Amino acid sequence: MAMNAAQRRYQVRFWPIMAFYVVAVLGVTWLFNNQPPEGPIKFVIAVLPALPIIGVLYVMGRYLVEEDDEFLRLQHVISLLIATGLTLSFCAVWGFLEIYHLVPVIGVFDISWGYFAAMGLGRLLAKWWYR
Amino acid sequence: MKNRLRVLRAERGWSQADLAERLAVSRQSINAIETGKYDPSLPLAFKIANIFSMKIEQIFDAE
Repeated sequence: MAMNAAQRRYQVRFWPIMAFYVVAVLGVTWLFNNQPPEGPIKFVIAVLPALPIIGVLYVMGRYLVEEDDEFLRLQHVISLLIATGLTLSFCAVWGFLEIYHLVPVIGVFDISWGYFAAMGLGRLLAKWWYR
Repeated sequence: MKNRLRVLRAERGWSQADLAERLAVSRQSINAIETGKYDPSLPLAFKIANIFSMKIEQIFDAE
């Protein structure tokens, strides 16, 4: 399926950010395993892999603003809403289970990837609904 | 909202992709409108009406 201009811009922005993410995760992990940084700079370095995740959220927002096709925009909004609903619902349920020590504590970092996975599911659901 | 988009398109021998190209929207948009799952905005409805040289109410029915 041919991409429109907004979708092409999304791809052009998304993939370099993902490449930076891979490099940042591998690099920062190696650094902390082999030559752990000292001082306040260690916080800056530790946060580096989070920046591309924030970047992807920004790119998704830009796509929403730049997409001229109102129907595709609606589908994107639906997938974001589904992802937000699923992620926050999961956090609420799992959070209370954690409070009462009924489930293991999971890393907050995993929530962001869960959000992206939920967004993929939301996209599939939106496509199925409007098929 | 019901519409006559599929009929009007067929009368002109246009595919969904043809109409989508004329309207500068995705083929999925045309399909969603034709099946009544998506109601276009007023600007898009005007654009559709202009393409067929008709009034909006001749294409879309609020019933």
